[in-house]
Amino acid sequence: MATPAALPPLPFNPRQVRSYLLRLPLFTRLVLLVILAFWLLELQTIWSVVQWGSLTPDECNLGTMYRLNTFPLIHTGFFHALLNAMALTPLLERFEAEHGTLTSIALFIGPLSTLPAGLYLLIEKMILHSNTPVVGASVWVFLLLGSEAIRTFKTNPYFSVGPYKIPTWTSPLFACVVLSILVSNVSFLGHMCAILVGYVFGLGYLKFLVPPEKVLRWIEGKLNLLGRLPHYVSVDQKTYAAIRNLRNNPNLLFVRLPNLLSLLCIIVGVVWLLLLPLNEYSRHTYISENALLPGQVHAYFSGSEQHIFRGYKQELEGLLSEGQNGIEARDQAQLTPAISTKIQSVLEAAGLKVATQKYQYSSAGITHHGENTYGIIHAPRGDATEAIVLVASWRTANDELNLNGVTLALTLARYFKRWSLWSKDIIFLFTPDSKSGTQAWIDAYHDLHPASVQPLALKSGALQGALVIEYPFEHRFKSLHIVYDGVNGQLPNLDLFNTAVAIAGGQMGFGSNLQEMWEHDDSYEARLQTILRGMAKQGLGYATGAHSSFMPYHIDAITLQPTGEGWEDEMALGRTIESLCRSLNNLLEHLHQSFFFYLLMQSNRFVSIGTYLPSAMLIAGNFTIMAIALWMRTGYHADALSTKTTESAKPKEKSSEKNSDAGKPAEISGPAVAERLLALPLTLVTGLHLLGLVPLWLFNTLPHQFFTLATYAFVAVDIVLPLLLAALLANGSGLTSALVPQQYLLIKSFALLLLGLSLSTLATLNFSLSFMIGLLCAPLSFVSRSHCPSASKRRACASMGLVSLNLLSPPTVLMGVCWYAGVSVEAVLTQAAFGWDVWGMWTQVVIWCVWWPAWLIGCVLLGASIF
Amino acid sequence: MTVSSILSLFLAIAVSLWGSATSASSDYHEQLFLEPLPQSSLLASFNFRGNTSQQSFDNQHFRYFPRALGQILQHAHTKELHLRFTTGRWDANSWGSRPWNGSKEGGTGVELWAWIDASDDEEAFAKWITLTQSLSGLFCASLNFIDSTRTTRPVVSFEPTGNHPNASSLHLLHGTLPGEVVCTENLTPFLKLLPCKGKTGISTLFDGHKLFDAAWQSMSVDVHPICSSDGDCTVQIEQTVDMVLDIERSKRTRDNPIPRPIPHEQLVCDTSKPYTSEDTCYPLEKGTDMAWSLNEVFGRTLNGICPLTDSNDLSVCLRVPHEKSVFTSQGASELKQDDGFTRCFSLAETEPFDLSIPEQEVHTKPPLDEPILHAERTIVGHGQERGGMRIIFGNPSETNAVDFIYFESLPWYLRPYIHTLQATITGPDGVRREIPASDIVTETFYRPAIDRERGTQLELALSVPAASTVTLTYDFEKAVLRYNEYPPDANRGFNVAPAVIRVLDGENAQPIYIRTTSLLLPLPTPDFSMPYNVIILTSTVIALAFGTVFNILVRRVVSVEEAEALQAQTLKARLVGKVVALRDRFRKKDTKVE
Repeated sequence: MATPAALPPLPFNPRQVRSYLLRLPLFTRLVLLVILAFWLLELQTIWSVVQWGSLTPDECNLGTMYRLNTFPLIHTGFFHALLNAMALTPLLERFEAEHGTLTSIALFIGPLSTLPAGLYLLIEKMILHSNTPVVGASVWVFLLLGSEAIRTFKTNPYFSVGPYKIPTWTSPLFACVVLSILVSNVSFLGHMCAILVGYVFGLGYLKFLVPPEKVLRWIEGKLNLLGRLPHYVSVDQKTYAAIRNLRNNPNLLFVRLPNLLSLLCIIVGVVWLLLLPLNEYSRHTYISENALLPGQVHAYFSGSEQHIFRGYKQELEGLLSEGQNGIEARDQAQLTPAISTKIQSVLEAAGLKVATQKYQYSSAGITHHGENTYGIIHAPRGDATEAIVLVASWRTANDELNLNGVTLALTLARYFKRWSLWSKDIIFLFTPDSKSGTQAWIDAYHDLHPASVQPLALKSGALQGALVIEYPFEHRFKSLHIVYDGVNGQLPNLDLFNTAVAIAGGQMGFGSNLQEMWEHDDSYEARLQTILRGMAKQGLGYATGAHSSFMPYHIDAITLQPTGEGWEDEMALGRTIESLCRSLNNLLEHLHQSFFFYLLMQSNRFVSIGTYLPSAMLIAGNFTIMAIALWMRTGYHADALSTKTTESAKPKEKSSEKNSDAGKPAEISGPAVAERLLALPLTLVTGLHLLGLVPLWLFNTLPHQFFTLATYAFVAVDIVLPLLLAALLANGSGLTSALVPQQYLLIKSFALLLLGLSLSTLATLNFSLSFMIGLLCAPLSFVSRSHCPSASKRRACASMGLVSLNLLSPPTVLMGVCWYAGVSVEAVLTQAAFGWDVWGMWTQVVIWCVWWPAWLIGCVLLGASIF
Repeated sequence: MTVSSILSLFLAIAVSLWGSATSASSDYHEQLFLEPLPQSSLLASFNFRGNTSQQSFDNQHFRYFPRALGQILQHAHTKELHLRFTTGRWDANSWGSRPWNGSKEGGTGVELWAWIDASDDEEAFAKWITLTQSLSGLFCASLNFIDSTRTTRPVVSFEPTGNHPNASSLHLLHGTLPGEVVCTENLTPFLKLLPCKGKTGISTLFDGHKLFDAAWQSMSVDVHPICSSDGDCTVQIEQTVDMVLDIERSKRTRDNPIPRPIPHEQLVCDTSKPYTSEDTCYPLEKGTDMAWSLNEVFGRTLNGICPLTDSNDLSVCLRVPHEKSVFTSQGASELKQDDGFTRCFSLAETEPFDLSIPEQEVHTKPPLDEPILHAERTIVGHGQERGGMRIIFGNPSETNAVDFIYFESLPWYLRPYIHTLQATITGPDGVRREIPASDIVTETFYRPAIDRERGTQLELALSVPAASTVTLTYDFEKAVLRYNEYPPDANRGFNVAPAVIRVLDGENAQPIYIRTTSLLLPLPTPDFSMPYNVIILTSTVIALAFGTVFNILVRRVVSVEEAEALQAQTLKARLVGKVVALRDRFRKKDTKVE
């Protein structure tokens, strides 16, 4: 019968019980068997087994010492036997599993029966002068309970019942009392004796009775017990031993091990990334989508089309020179309305449907506006369901005049119109710049544009791909530079990149570059450099060209930039684009076959997400490991952790004496469970993360001329704020009492937990950003409030730490990178604000709401050692 | 005079002819109408019409009516049938209003609607399925895929064109296949329905290569009964093929179809530009229409007239200004009509006919009439979960408001939220205003979808004020399909059928239909190679993990000495084995090996 899913499953599973019983070890079985046998023996009336075997104080003399051993095995009735057996089985089974069969036999035949019995006899006969016979296995039950209780006490000293704390070692006493009250005819004294012996055993004072392992092993070996006896638990098989060892050494478990693991994670993560360029870890690229067939068609764009190209170019240049004579002025030429009108008229003459779109964005106090012009070639037999976009920006991504690119697009528009084989509409988009024009257009295409952007008058179907044409110089080119990074590190389908590489290399016969690696010698260093450049672009997440804006809409796009001095002219670039369009035209489905997550190290080698992801995940994982360890560590009193180690080294010493200098009196030995004071750490961590919204807002709304000043101000804030917070926390400041060490650990734990969580999630979306932030935050795993007893030493350490951490603060890193790259901080921040306002860039959020709060908390912890 | 009105005029003439010949129980007419359109396009509109009396139709005496189709209609109790095959899109901005006022075209793909005689809805649907299955075989089209999810029952969008005595028992069913690719395999059965079967008459011009190279083409089959006032009924079948050919493209010879760059000597350059030289050319686009002839455009000449038609029929008509010279082959006579643009030709019975227009400078152009309504429908938004539909209606008229019915049938996996229906209106002043949808929508008929059973049916009665543009938007949610419901090309997206717009233009006028383009809806699509990867991965993990764990659990690890000791205990082992065997035999079990 199926149980309804809403009900909890049966707590009692007969199958489990059966398998449990079948797995009982040897000695437990023997004991149960003997109990059963004695019970059966009692069924006859001739010979009273109970009278024979019970522990009767008066009957005990040297001749009847056997009673000291037989009494636990004999019961007065079926229910007595059954209940005792049921109570005993799990305890005894566990004991045997821990200590081995031989030890169990030795202990239970010997001291663990005779000691409680002797104690009982002593008290009953000598002190109480009465003669109550006792019988039954309950003595073992209570003995084992007693020893278990001591062990529990070591790890978990108190029950909390309301305000009262009850030591856990009293639990068998309670059981004993309750049992005595509930069940009649129960020997309270006998049970108490057993518990007492159990305590003594649990505290380890009876260890001398345990036969030495050597002897046991010798016996085992000689008699081949393991081979002969079923269910025999060997000495070597003693489970739990190693775990118990670890459990008994919390310093190793909670302090040293996590540090080691975290460090290992970071090192392995970095080494992993360094391994990727090797042939063993990377792969050759390949065309996954069969429909693309790159370079399988002849490209006809040549001959008289070049005359038309020159004609168009002359026409556009004529419009340029009206106000802009001279080379320098020409390089600054903007897309004037006259040029826009000319582009429209050329497109209209070629038979395209033409429309324009005005847009305006303002960001960081700068207004960007312009007018896009676009024309659509209707697929001759198509029905406006799919389209390809060709983009030519008037200014390239590097802000050069893209006159040849625009002219080439116009010539191609006229040329493509004649072909009847297009299965998709082709849209020619002319934008004034590479930053905002395409963004305005693609937003409006999906009807997601802000009010300052005009809607589109003309539309087509679902966009399948986009190519951006750049040709910003007059000379002939040598190879094709393919730019593929999108906003927020999104990448186009690898098939599109591969198609471009295959067409440039195979059909056109010129090479292709990526990531501005002009001299790629296929060495390890060059590959690694390419990967790192790609990661830097991906991590920063800015738009690297006009194509980047397409990526958030799941439209694969690349920019084609001719580079170098060579023999190829604009017609070769035109043929490349023609061939690429023909390949895209072949597509039956949206590009989906190949990878969307990859790192390219060369135009024909890549690593896919499965190979590179562990690298960032390990680094993010280091924070999580540390956070969990800290959380567990805060469950104990800090001093208990340190004393436990010394205690295990010298078990004879009393720990209470050693704790006096730690400031908190420790009442008991062993690790003490501490209550976590969560309120303040949680508030602080949440508050600091929310505080990140302030710089996020500031750096995205300030006018651009204040950016440099704001950065310097933030460096200062980053120096002062942690110290201020640390002083507040350390002195309490009247709001709260001063923080206890546990709270510092908790603060760190929460901060690292959030960091690890965010970074591991981020790694699946933007691997590079997660990796970069992870590396910059790596020291935060290891900084904490120092425990150095000497105040001066502590202060020196903390100050050194603070200085070095301040070198890794977000504003300092920003300034350092800007200085290294030779760009101004203002330019970078203006770009970032533009990205936030227009492109929908999320890098700032990660920096200010993930990185900065974690960094701040690290500094606060360090600063707290000063006060 | 417009394309559509001209066509209607011919229809009227034809009807009057038919009226005069009503004594004959059946007749057959065919007509070709040609009109050059801007941007070197040519509209060719073929019309074939056959009549047969209801009596002979019922007795299966077929002469002009195709027997194959007639039997299907009788079997499926179909009283009126409309079938459309369409590809491409009509460019209303360049070409004006649609031929036949849009009443002879369908949405992209295949569209079918019929009035079926049945006692209730279920019976009607069963007959509808019979009809689609049979037509599927007849026309080599995937009409059998019109199932319940693609069938709708429009309420106000379609009216029967024939006269039906028992209209109360008729059920209108409508189905579309927007993804169906119309091609030559549909043309051949279409031609077979004609009495002259493409051997003679205007149907000889049908060449699959040219027909399906057209920028827009639509084939239609309409069957409806026409009854006179005295109760005599005839069953009329009308087949039309309308296409817009690109003259330049059609004139390319079949052995050299590639539009290579022309030699630079042949480039027509704008010599007024100062930079024009040997290697620099600003192209000059031609101001005159291109020369063409039937032979060049269709690849063959017209092979006489179909002998079944009346020899007095003006079977070929051309709409060019009268001042333009048109050359025809011998035996054909030209008849110019009064409107100044239309001329018709009566053809010699057996002589091949060709018609050619040389390139010439003409100052008058036949006026193109503005379409009465512009409609554009697009999917907006992006993402796997939600999207939006945006429909733009533009009324170009300065004076009159347009009333129309907007009908769309959406697949069930596109779940519209009708409560999000919003309207914005851009008036003549160019200001966009949000208005309540109820201001524009006068009536709504909405039948929500049931997953995997039927699609959404939405019919709106709207009114767009003069010189205004109305934008309707609503949001929708994309359903997640079961993995076996995805087609092989799942990542292409799913076709959404075009919307049908029926303009209510007066009481008695011919209905005007406009169809939007079909849409491609991207749905959340799983990575179909993933199950394969997952199976491989899990199998490996299970093989490794289970194998190891099982091994550890079952195997007893013993040292060599122990193994020897085990073997030494042969007596005990034998004894135990025997006991086990005995027990098993006792329990009638097969011996198990542990």
